[in-house]
Amino acid sequence: MTSADPTRGTYFITEDDLRALTGELLGAGTEVIAPVALDVCASPSAIASSACLRPGVKPIDIEYRALESAAQLNLGSGLPVLSLKQYFLPEYEALCCWRQHGTEIEIEAVPTEFAPRVVLAAKPCDSAALAVVDKVMNWDYADELWNGRREATTIVNLACPVVDESCFCTAVGTAPDDAKGADALLTPVEGGFLMEATTDKGRALVEAHAARFTAEEGAGGAGARGRQAAEERAAARARAAANLEIDAASVRDWIDTHFEDPLLAALGVRCNGCGACSSVCPTCHCFDIVDEEEGIGKGTRRRCWDTCQAPTFTLHASGHNPRDSQNPRYRQRINHKFAIYPLKFGEVLCTGCGRCTRVCHAGQDLVEILQAIDIAARRREAVSP
Amino acid sequence: MNIYQPQLALVTAVTEETPDTRTLRLELKDEALRNAFAFHAGQFGEYSVFGAGESTFCIASPPTRKGFIECSFKAVGKVTSALREVNVGDTVGFRGPYGNWFPVDDWKGKDVVFIAGGIGLAPVRCVIWNVLDRRDEFGDVTIVYGARSVVDLVYKRELQEWASRSDVRIVTTVDPGGQTDDWKGEVGYVTPVVEATAPQAQNAVAVLCGPPIVVKLTLPVLERLGFADDAIFTTLENRMKCGLGKCGRCNIGPVYVCKDGPVFTAAQLKELPAEY
Amino acid sequence: MSDTVTTEVPVYAGVAELRRIARELLDAGDVRVIIGWEHARRGARPVFITDAADADRLIFDARCVHNLVTYLNPRRDNVAELGKIGLVVKGCDAKAVAGLLREAQLTRDDVVLIGVRCGGVLEEAELPRAAPLGPENVAPRCFGCDNREPELVDHLLGESQPEPPRPLTTIDERVAALDAQPLEKRWAFWTEQFGRCVRCYACRQVCPLCVCERCVAEKSRPQWIEASPHPRGNLSWNITRALHLAGRCVDCGECERFCPVGIPLSLVNRKLQQIVAERYDYAVSDDPEHAAPIGDYRLDDKQEFIK
Repeated sequence: MTSADPTRGTYFITEDDLRALTGELLGAGTEVIAPVALDVCASPSAIASSACLRPGVKPIDIEYRALESAAQLNLGSGLPVLSLKQYFLPEYEALCCWRQHGTEIEIEAVPTEFAPRVVLAAKPCDSAALAVVDKVMNWDYADELWNGRREATTIVNLACPVVDESCFCTAVGTAPDDAKGADALLTPVEGGFLMEATTDKGRALVEAHAARFTAEEGAGGAGARGRQAAEERAAARARAAANLEIDAASVRDWIDTHFEDPLLAALGVRCNGCGACSSVCPTCHCFDIVDEEEGIGKGTRRRCWDTCQAPTFTLHASGHNPRDSQNPRYRQRINHKFAIYPLKFGEVLCTGCGRCTRVCHAGQDLVEILQAIDIAARRREAVSP
Repeated sequence: MNIYQPQLALVTAVTEETPDTRTLRLELKDEALRNAFAFHAGQFGEYSVFGAGESTFCIASPPTRKGFIECSFKAVGKVTSALREVNVGDTVGFRGPYGNWFPVDDWKGKDVVFIAGGIGLAPVRCVIWNVLDRRDEFGDVTIVYGARSVVDLVYKRELQEWASRSDVRIVTTVDPGGQTDDWKGEVGYVTPVVEATAPQAQNAVAVLCGPPIVVKLTLPVLERLGFADDAIFTTLENRMKCGLGKCGRCNIGPVYVCKDGPVFTAAQLKELPAEY
Repeated sequence: MSDTVTTEVPVYAGVAELRRIARELLDAGDVRVIIGWEHARRGARPVFITDAADADRLIFDARCVHNLVTYLNPRRDNVAELGKIGLVVKGCDAKAVAGLLREAQLTRDDVVLIGVRCGGVLEEAELPRAAPLGPENVAPRCFGCDNREPELVDHLLGESQPEPPRPLTTIDERVAALDAQPLEKRWAFWTEQFGRCVRCYACRQVCPLCVCERCVAEKSRPQWIEASPHPRGNLSWNITRALHLAGRCVDCGECERFCPVGIPLSLVNRKLQQIVAERYDYAVSDDPEHAAPIGDYRLDDKQEFIK
């Protein structure tokens, strides 16, 4: 067994070695973030879960967490409830702290450099979202907090078999086996995983743990394992494509030119205007900035997640609200994701993870909405070539 | 230090403009930053009272006056109410300048018509002084300013100063019922007063700021007077947080008001969804 | 799912009647929109029928979990602008209508209520078809329901239904299990639950009785509740939300169902219901005349909290 040569592209690693690698990272004090299957029935929450009484049922929550041990690393196909966004744009984070002495103010800066960390088994839709949001976070002004975390993090994706019928990554320009926004991609194969390092950070990770990898026979994965990986990845892509196929460019142009169309103008009727979709969305990045006092004369200025679905998002202090009902607010969500952002930054602000649809118990269904817009866009193209 | 961390600024002067509107003069505490600070007419900043938060206003002083900036605001929300409590010698936070600006340099040789309603005079004042400080470069200068009542007129001392200049034509007006016995100006809403003032549109630009309703009603009047859509400039006042094109709050249609604005021509405004 | 025995599925009778009445109300112009449930790609969901020809989209089965009364909430201006509403209600939902009437958020003539006799609903609406109700899938709140045939209605459809099955554990049992824990355990439990809160306010937005024009969470002068989803802010938000619904909550469970991070809000809601029952001998009903403790003044109210 020869160790990996990190200048070459594809490596093989067994699950045991992957866990050993995880243990090495943790042992060296590196933070490792990965999906973890939380046993609901072993947590204080068990009291609230009737499922814990059900024979043969073991309710688990999949969440991205900082690992405490390599054994926690979950290599299953489940989609974490919250996306990876929380590790780059935390639900809340300090922008600065202040302390007042009489009329004098002292500001304490927050660090913008972060210790190196590794994300393992990230969902491709989640890493792709980071690459999409990179654009706005670097539009003329660089957001050092976002960039600092991006630079400090090496992300290893795990090719996804497609979770359910609400997945549609391939419709919005990414794929269940994409390494976009990530540094390497793992694909499950017989006996372990193929690992492709796609960036210098990914190659550095392989290099630092070269003994855990073997160089894969046949460059580009032409060997038996490579063929198996390619087949499974193609099958996953086909499953995603079967859920939804749209022409994102014509959807973009249609939305851009049909702002007042009844299809867009009345989308919000069943929407409750809760921000659950934005909270779980890997690409929603809008935030609020608030001052929070911590005792007399000191406090922290923080940013926290916000949502365009809340009436207060656009409410002026005067009481004037430019988007004063849920219909324009929901249209804004669609418009921003599928027209405004693509026109401004060249990327759809959606990676098809389907979380917004799954989390919406009012039945707002992005798959259905995109399908309807796609049909409208195609119809227009048919009548005006 | 990150882009959201404010600079500290010393409050060096406070002017009570009206019962609910005041102007603060601020000087950045860091000498190097203060000396290097430059901006264009129309740009804005994020002003903060620590503990209350940040609020967005245009820089109301002209870029031709160095060493300080001024902002004028009405106390309506949490931050503006806190700013209303600050005194000379207090420290506040400032981030900026942000956003685009009025293309004043392109107006050389042209007449400039300023129209403002209420606190909308703040961004216009910046341009007025910018133009008056370079008076020779421009043609006729006309100012039409209206407020709800005499007491609500802001920059009263400057209104008098402009009125006393022979190279400025100024019309001030108050809404019907808002006049006092000794009021010498017009009585009427801004829009009809603009129509009656009838500034000529040939080789002229108009700068129009005020409450959304004033802007909405006055745009067609300017059109009737012959102002082309790309010769009418206004500012949008959408709610903002970051001012840097990140937080998403001021996005309407294809623009982020904080980065693509706040200055827009009437032609650009017509292309936008009416979400401002 | 394929081996589901369809005969066991409660196909609530009255669906044909529901569609007929919806058609008639729309045709006669008595209402402009019928708000009910439909079957969509992911299962049952709310539907807004404005054209009588679409009335056949209406369904009623055990997946019709949603409390549609949230759409009568006065802050839903985009729903109000559709015109007069005909609303399909289960008994639990009718209690929320009574709540709005009680608090002068609605007048009775504003809405035509189409009641459905209910034998309980599932925990989940997003199912391809209604499953037979059993201890493992029934919405726990349905157990012991005292209003399966709403009275506050203009039409009451379907036949009397059997009582919903007893869930594996009832909400009361879970509350009791929590109550039996020492303080530190209960604190650990709620700290963990509220720690997950992302402050999306889904619980508030979907609540038919969160009617405040400006929620206390949005008030900034003074800032009652910190906006950041840190433990301190989360605790004050979640406790405030629950307290504001004490004696008002109709136990429709929508806050818990919509919570994207799965906080068991029904436990805190139920606990408050128990306290209100014990203190004021009050249970929420669909009788709008039955004043809630929060809106009622009595000389014999217990006042021992003022010391």
